[in-house]
Amino acid sequence: MSPRRLLERGLLPAALLVAAVSGLADGADAQPRWIRGPTPDGKPTPAALLPPGAPFPDTSGPSRVVYPPQQLTIRFNHKKHLGELGMSCTDCHAGAKTSTKADDRMMPKPALCDGCHGSNHEDLRAVKGGDAGFGSCDTCHTPWTPEKGNDVARMVLPTAHLRSNHKLHADRNINCEQCHGAVQEVELATREQLPRMKGCFTCHAVEGPQKGKATSECTGCHETVPGGQMQVTFKEGKLTPPRWMGNMEHGADFVARHKMVSGDNAKACASCHAESFCTDCHDGRVRPRNVHPNDYLSMHPIEARMDNPRCASCHQQAQFCLPCHQRSGVTMSGSPGALAKQGRFHPPAAVWSEPPRTRQHHAFEAQRNITACVSCHTERDCATCHATAAGGGRGYNPHPAGFASKCASAMRKNSRPCLVCHESTELSARCR
Amino acid sequence: MRGSLGSRSKLKVFVGATSLLTTSLAAPSARAFDAEVTSDTAAQAYSLRSPFGDPILFRRRVTQTLGLGMYRLLPDEKPGGPQLFVKLRMRLDADFGVEASERRYDAGSAESRYTPGLAEAPIDLMYGYVEGRNLAGGWLGFRAGRQYVVDALGWWSFDGALVRLTPPYVHVEVYGGFEQRGGLPLSLGRFERGGVSRGDREAALSGAPDAYRHFQQAAMAPAYGVAIESAGPTWIHGRLDYRRVSNRGTATTLALPDATGATSATISGTRTSSERVGYAVDGTAGRWGAARAGVVYDLYNRFVSSYYVSADGFVTRRLTVTADYDMFRPTFDGDSIFNWFTHWGMKTATLRGAMTVTDRLDVAASGGARWYETDDDPAVSPTAATGVLPSGGGGVATSNPETGAASTMRDWLGSADARYRWDSARVALRGVFESGDRGKREGVDLSGDKSFRGGRYFALARASVFDWRDELRPDRSATSVGYVLGAGFAPSEFARTRIEWEHNTNKLVGQRYRVLAWLTVVARR
Repeated sequence: MSPRRLLERGLLPAALLVAAVSGLADGADAQPRWIRGPTPDGKPTPAALLPPGAPFPDTSGPSRVVYPPQQLTIRFNHKKHLGELGMSCTDCHAGAKTSTKADDRMMPKPALCDGCHGSNHEDLRAVKGGDAGFGSCDTCHTPWTPEKGNDVARMVLPTAHLRSNHKLHADRNINCEQCHGAVQEVELATREQLPRMKGCFTCHAVEGPQKGKATSECTGCHETVPGGQMQVTFKEGKLTPPRWMGNMEHGADFVARHKMVSGDNAKACASCHAESFCTDCHDGRVRPRNVHPNDYLSMHPIEARMDNPRCASCHQQAQFCLPCHQRSGVTMSGSPGALAKQGRFHPPAAVWSEPPRTRQHHAFEAQRNITACVSCHTERDCATCHATAAGGGRGYNPHPAGFASKCASAMRKNSRPCLVCHESTELSARCR
Repeated sequence: MRGSLGSRSKLKVFVGATSLLTTSLAAPSARAFDAEVTSDTAAQAYSLRSPFGDPILFRRRVTQTLGLGMYRLLPDEKPGGPQLFVKLRMRLDADFGVEASERRYDAGSAESRYTPGLAEAPIDLMYGYVEGRNLAGGWLGFRAGRQYVVDALGWWSFDGALVRLTPPYVHVEVYGGFEQRGGLPLSLGRFERGGVSRGDREAALSGAPDAYRHFQQAAMAPAYGVAIESAGPTWIHGRLDYRRVSNRGTATTLALPDATGATSATISGTRTSSERVGYAVDGTAGRWGAARAGVVYDLYNRFVSSYYVSADGFVTRRLTVTADYDMFRPTFDGDSIFNWFTHWGMKTATLRGAMTVTDRLDVAASGGARWYETDDDPAVSPTAATGVLPSGGGGVATSNPETGAASTMRDWLGSADARYRWDSARVALRGVFESGDRGKREGVDLSGDKSFRGGRYFALARASVFDWRDELRPDRSATSVGYVLGAGFAPSEFARTRIEWEHNTNKLVGQRYRVLAWLTVVARR
């Protein structure tokens, strides 16, 4: 349960009750006001107090993968200490300007509080409370009741999955507020005050002199795996890019849409994914079921005709499709043994290849999606009809409209396909 | 093939090499670099039956990849600073279901099932390169060896060198080498342009020039390219690519005996394989929306082979609405005749909504149409038409595409996706719908996986129902029900195993079973 929900569900009524009883006994003005969360009224933290780059209202806080959920058992009022008492961040967080690693512990030792609160934390097994007002254990510890004595709830502050170097930033005169927001204005500082990547980009995603030493490489801040890519898998979940960053949000249908991202910015993909991640599908040997589910071997002709998804993005037809089709006899040309029991795959010739043409005619298929044809047919199959008579065929012209205007150019670059169907003398006479 | 290793021997050699590398990495060393060896082994067994009932192909596949990475080769490497590393990955792809009669050409046998290019256990180098980054004050990078290029022109692989200039604002890449081609050592044809089947024809079909003329002898294919890319701002990015690949060597030309009775002819020399230029750009306008666009122009075919435009509206913090428009016109290798059969591109327009309902739940749905236009020609009687390319001297006129009547055909597309994630588990649902003149397909696929005890144990399950109607072959229509069950175990952080059982049932295949097993081993130092 999150600290806020803990406070709201259980501690708040208890705290209010304790405060009321204490107030009746000693006078309300002398007692601390039990803080409920970042703001006195329990409302969302105002945008002005959040770290740069945080959305507003920040309903879900920062990434729970980067900053794993915390368990806050100390109700420390930053606004009181910083804003009213004039303390500085480093009075409590002594390592805030010298820390170089995310796992540096920057929480103050409890004895630090003793000076003002009158408590004594020297022996944590026998802590003595201070004055009833600001020195009682439940001034800071929650949940706590007198019968618990020294048994206070453990505070859990997991290490962020980042290379967080406070010293680098402090040395460049970057103050706490520039990354953590107006902590001095909030009461309980929660995960909401942790830096957001969008805010980091204020310095880390610019070019030119203003960039300074702020690297824009992902691995400048994010942890890495041995291959140098960002570590994206943690026990708290997977790290995925946000929508605002190059529109690369890895939503539920990202598998079907990733081509537009990778075609434009493959380097961004390579920040997290090694080649093997891509080759598992794009050059793999085990069918990816999230792309090709169920009995895909039987249903693949339907998708191949629609070319959805685009077969050629993973399969070179003549190398991948054709050999299997030749082995299984689903070809026009092939070995005698494989074709011995061949039947007709396509509709009857009267429908598929003879005039008059209907919507089932093979011309439509070839004109729109010749890649499906190429997965079974070799040049010979097509040339039988489409080569000129001199080339051994029947002269049915397969060329699209406007082809005559550019065939000479194509032939100059590569005359091989021309010579499959046309005589060289014809070509040299016509295609100049 | 005489003198070569059989697939089982290759497998043993590959496993031996994996063990040796893994063991050597485990030995202590005083060197400062990081090294990693990964080995993935996947075994799968299933069968597939020809739609005509016979033959039945038995797939008994063992695929093993062996990867090596050596990182931080420069002293005191830091993020953003100079970096040097080496990456390599090799693969053995054995299929023990390939029969000897399918690999050996036997000209005189009516039983021959020879399939050009088919190998029982090919070994290929997927990638292997040395790369330097952020050199010369951050202004220079390079990569040398077999490597991938992913850009607006597609996914491609070549052997050679790439130099990257990385000054502020604009990065420039220049590269050159040879395209990876099937039939060359440690190479496969995955990244060649389509339409051409290449391999070691001379070894397989020497003395039989007329056999399998579509199967061309592979030769080194020089290639080079250049790219200019924006750098820095996250709200806009663009990349311009140019790439040219040339065919060399000898290719057969005649697919059929010609009018003179000649049965074979060849062409040699350097000629265009592909020459294309592409541009892709994306931009994000704060919290309002984003847009992407891309275009590829084929300089050999002299037409735009693809373009797309995509516009996103960030309606709320959690809801995105997208409009996509896409055109694709197939193109092929310059040696292929199929470039000249494509007339108009397929166009697709879709509307999409995607929502991050909570931090754990995502949903998305899209719907749209794909349509294609044709112009008239092949069905027109050749004797009645006026040809734009009359076959000189052949006596048969060709039809006239300039005067033909256009026609449009449409497919309707739809999809729906949902995904819910826990820290150690995930459930996903995907539904698809496609319908058009060439067929219809619809179905749903529900999948889930969960790891236990910090990933030590793993379980997955998948269930799906699909129905498809084949308008060209109604007898191939079916409703199929399938499921997958799987379990995994990680004995240590350096090893993972997994086994899966897949079962599909429909009227076409009756019952189809598939068994898969994985073993992944990682060694690091």
